Amino acid sequence: MAAQRFGFVIDTKQCVGCHTCAVLCKSENNIPDGLWWNRILTDGGESIDAFGGSYQAASRTFIPMACQHCDNPACVKVCPVGATYKDPETGVVRQDFDKCIGCRMCMAACPYTGVRSFNWEEPQYSVDHTMGDADAPAHQKHVVEKCTMCWHRLAKGENPLCVDGCPAYARFWGDFNDPNSEVSRLIREREHMRLLEDRGTEPSVYYLV
Amino acid sequence: MSENTQAAKAAKASAATFGGKGLNLGIAVAAVVTVAGIGLWIMQLTGGLVQTNMRNLDSWGLYITMFMFLVGLSAGGLIISSVPRAFGMKGFGGISKVAVWTSICCTVLAIGFVVVDLGQPLRLWELFAYSNLGSPLMWDIIVLATYLVLSIVYLWATLRAEAGKVSNTALRVVSVIALVCAVLVHSVTAWIFGLQQAHEFWHTALLAPWFVSSALVCGTALVLVVVIALRRVGYLELDQAYVVKLVKMLGAFVLVDLYFFGCDLLTAGFPGGSGAEVVTMLVSGPLAPFFWVEIVGCALAAVVCFVPKLRTNPLIVVASLLAIVGILCKRVQLLVGGFQIPNIDYAAPMSSLTVTDWTGGMAGAYQGMVYTPSPLEFGVVLGVVGLGALLLLVGLKFLPLRPPVEDVH
Repeated sequence: MAAQRFGFVIDTKQCVGCHTCAVLCKSENNIPDGLWWNRILTDGGESIDAFGGSYQAASRTFIPMACQHCDNPACVKVCPVGATYKDPETGVVRQDFDKCIGCRMCMAACPYTGVRSFNWEEPQYSVDHTMGDADAPAHQKHVVEKCTMCWHRLAKGENPLCVDGCPAYARFWGDFNDPNSEVSRLIREREHMRLLEDRGTEPSVYYLV
Repeated sequence: MSENTQAAKAAKASAATFGGKGLNLGIAVAAVVTVAGIGLWIMQLTGGLVQTNMRNLDSWGLYITMFMFLVGLSAGGLIISSVPRAFGMKGFGGISKVAVWTSICCTVLAIGFVVVDLGQPLRLWELFAYSNLGSPLMWDIIVLATYLVLSIVYLWATLRAEAGKVSNTALRVVSVIALVCAVLVHSVTAWIFGLQQAHEFWHTALLAPWFVSSALVCGTALVLVVVIALRRVGYLELDQAYVVKLVKMLGAFVLVDLYFFGCDLLTAGFPGGSGAEVVTMLVSGPLAPFFWVEIVGCALAAVVCFVPKLRTNPLIVVASLLAIVGILCKRVQLLVGGFQIPNIDYAAPMSSLTVTDWTGGMAGAYQGMVYTPSPLEFGVVLGVVGLGALLLLVGLKFLPLRPPVEDVH
């Protein structure tokens, strides 16, 4: 077990489905057109923001979903060259763009539909200058990418930007191995769930429900 | 001993003279197709894999389907020639060298299909520098490479044994090792898929034995087609009794494969729930055409194999082709079926890079088949198949693969 286990708590009672965290993630990391490391899913009707259920019994919950930084990550086991690996200090599941051979084994192995993305072409940008943090890693054609937990910000002692930028204060970040951390306290006190617990991946993203 | 040597010499001499204009033309066509395929592959690498129809939610496609299929096809030749030798049984009348050669060609193709699927083929060296020995993909690379080398060694040993330079005991040892490796190759290929808890359709302990049985089906069928064709053009002679023996084996393999499919469907569907979704997807869902072609094709093939009256050469070829097409359909079901049921299907932001048919949102993407190949993918596949045809034909022309004369009867 890693010394620390960094992860997120997302309060679905607070999330308003504004997609701000997704857009912040995209600009902070200069993510190419057509790709998202963080997406806001709607647990409701057939389309984004739609309600499910029937009149007077309608329901809608937003589930922001990015890499779950699993404690038992399926992707890390299958990568033939170790390009995706778990950082022993922090438990963050990392991706080495320079090493990735583009076999997409990790994309097949990850149970969390669509959190890993592949640069299917030379990265395209709709703005003609680089966005976001200068320390965020450059994008490469034909390699697999995903949420880095804003590794470049963690290195500077900052929170991942999706946490700092959430207008609804629905996102929290911290160390689950530290019982005094805010995230540990939240999952102690509040009812929560994790996505696809039955797959045994032990995700480090908890959703308060 | 001297008879053997003479026979080998005769075989060598006749092999060198085999093939007229037809074979040369075939080699030329295969070469052109191969070169065109390489051109398309370069186009794919420069313009990007975006030209394929693979996307984030269906991240493997036709190439990996063909990889599975070709690994399976490679089984037949090696197993058919090594099983009798390993267990000291009567063989199949000297077709073993041709059979092993088809195995070698198919293995090269399987490796080729993995390479064209890669985003960064220039980083292939990393597989050896940074090998993660825990990855089933790494196991497969190791086992496939070993299998290829062993097949070549086995072919060489067979030739040397015929020339009296390698003892039969040594050959038998090589054949046992090759046989074990063949079983491993199919199991490990299955584990690339079967060890993933992410896809319910793949995550079953049955997958490895099932891959072995499917490999035996299409491998044996391929050997039958090749052998009957080569007999027809006079490359080799073969007593019909051997063909019938092969056909009966094919029938048995087909039944085992169908039995496994039945077991899998029942186990998935019986409890209801999400496993029933898998069954519905196959039986009446988007993959139904492939499912039914496989089931009906394999059933018909089995009928031809087991009814003596039907075992005529044309029908044997038809049955073999049905079995091969059936297994190809099975590979399509496995590959596409793995991606056809998303674990998390909530409505989400989509783009042209998310999934092949993204315009209808998450719900729309899974209405039909989540993935269908693009023209470029078919082109590259054709090119790789061309390379296989080229290897096969060049081997027939230049390698001493014909049976030694005394083996024929």
